[in-house]
Amino acid sequence: MLTKKGKYGLKALVHLSGMPVGQLAFVNDIAVANNIPKKFLDAILGELRNAGFVQSRKGKDGGYRLARPAAEIKIGHVVRVLDGPLAPIPCASRTQYQRCEDCDEATCQVRHMMLEVRQAVADVLDNRSLAAMRDADNDDVLQDIKYHI
Amino acid sequence: MAERATGRQSILIIGGGASGVVLAAHLLRDPDADIRVTLIEKREAFGQGVAYSTNLPDHVLNVSAFGMSAYADDPEHFFRWLVERGLAEPDNPQIYVPRSLYGEYLREILDRLNEQEKGTGRLHTLNEACQSVATTPSGVEVKLANGTSLVGHIAVLAVGHEEQAPPDHRGAIRPGSTEDTPLPADASVLVLGTGLSMIDLWLSLENRGHSGKIVALSRRGLLPAIHRRGKPIRLDAADVPLGTDLSYFIRWFRRLVRETEDAGGNWRDVVDGIRPFNQRIWQSWPSGAKRRFIEHTRAWWDIHRHRMPPVLHERVSRALAAGELELLPGKLESARKDGDGFTATIRPRHKQEAVTLKVARIYDCTGITTDLSTGSNPIVRSLIERGLARPDPLRIGLDVTPGCAIVNAEGAASTRLFAIGPLTRGTFFEIEAIPDIRTQCSALARRLTEKVA
Repeated sequence: MLTKKGKYGLKALVHLSGMPVGQLAFVNDIAVANNIPKKFLDAILGELRNAGFVQSRKGKDGGYRLARPAAEIKIGHVVRVLDGPLAPIPCASRTQYQRCEDCDEATCQVRHMMLEVRQAVADVLDNRSLAAMRDADNDDVLQDIKYHI
Repeated sequence: MAERATGRQSILIIGGGASGVVLAAHLLRDPDADIRVTLIEKREAFGQGVAYSTNLPDHVLNVSAFGMSAYADDPEHFFRWLVERGLAEPDNPQIYVPRSLYGEYLREILDRLNEQEKGTGRLHTLNEACQSVATTPSGVEVKLANGTSLVGHIAVLAVGHEEQAPPDHRGAIRPGSTEDTPLPADASVLVLGTGLSMIDLWLSLENRGHSGKIVALSRRGLLPAIHRRGKPIRLDAADVPLGTDLSYFIRWFRRLVRETEDAGGNWRDVVDGIRPFNQRIWQSWPSGAKRRFIEHTRAWWDIHRHRMPPVLHERVSRALAAGELELLPGKLESARKDGDGFTATIRPRHKQEAVTLKVARIYDCTGITTDLSTGSNPIVRSLIERGLARPDPLRIGLDVTPGCAIVNAEGAASTRLFAIGPLTRGTFFEIEAIPDIRTQCSALARRLTEKVA
């Protein structure tokens, strides 16, 4: 399902969505704060830039920021860019279909079910914004704090 | 709320063309819905609008019979209608019938509805031009040209296409408008646009025995591609990249075309396969991507998406080869009134020097809608002037929510004013053809009647 790449990418975006509007974040800071290997993060942010989710500036003061407000970025859209078509198993994709060696896709009930699952995954992830994901996390923390008080 | 106490929700549909009739049909589909639908049309005939009022047999639908049912939940409705009348063979749904037949079909749907609702009071039709619409504390009020007004709970704008050429196409007229008077057969004609509307006009002129030269001008001079029977690829929403920049999307699209062609398919299979997701893709894009699409990609998309039947393509090719029709890539710089006609100054694409053309008439077939606040539709203008509506960010239609609610000048969605059809293209992108309009109407009807239940 969600690869490490997808997870790191989402974490990096959450990090960027917490920055003051317009301010750039250093790749190194994002990597350290989220425990992401820096080289991997460079590649991930490059892909997010190509797809138009983040903007970057080169040079000494360079870094990354969101290309548009966090409320306008949907989680499912980001995951498709980083991990490809939403698919619980490789055969349950129409564009990047990979045949299973050991079964016949026309009669495979598992594949059938997984095609349905990916619909449901898209329905959830395409209706959650980066802002909602970031804030949901905060809510949990607040609830935790309240609970401890 | 006093009116609500009577239980009956009154819905005024402004515009009785194709989209207005299709909406009325969906609203009345549930025999238990306690509503009152009033369909208001300024033309004499209902169900025709701009697209289906042609009588020319050559003007065929560019969607096959299965795509043209008025009912989203009964795609074979129109095809059955054709078969019942001996106008189609039961085993061949892939036919492209004359558009006038479609006007007749819609008229019959409305007649049948009138018959069915006789005595229920759920449907009223009215031949009158509307001048303005406004919200009142309890609903909406529509002012008519005859000085009277109608009140209801909800008003839906179904006014269709802009009927006049945009003001920057000075001197140009739209085919079929009142200014479109008969021309001498040998008159030379300049057409702005090289898409299907231009082809329609060329067919009309050819049909009248026109012999004068016809020059069709557009930025790129691209002609619509040919229809071929294919097998649209299957896609799920989970496969389609959403919310990306335009260049990213186009790279994905091109790769998919390549892969489909490698697998023995055709680009048409991709263009048609992606169609169910067009609106979702459009709505997911950031405004920059939308703007760039309109600016750079739309012309290219349109010729692949809106295609010509092979027979028609052959005729057009013959006219091009014979020089009766000429495609000119370029830009109209100016059009000066000159005697009975015009002198048009055109700058051909990638050329520094302008050329001049003496023509008897300039037709506008661009399909481009300029700013609605200066358009010819008084209702739309009055809504914008009062701040009850605003143009969408791209200024190609009215700003509406994905639920068709009209958004006011402050950005708030109305609970009483709605719009359907081409007016909503800023939000719905492709919303000119019946397959898209019926889906939009079905969803809106569901929402409007749910409120009643």
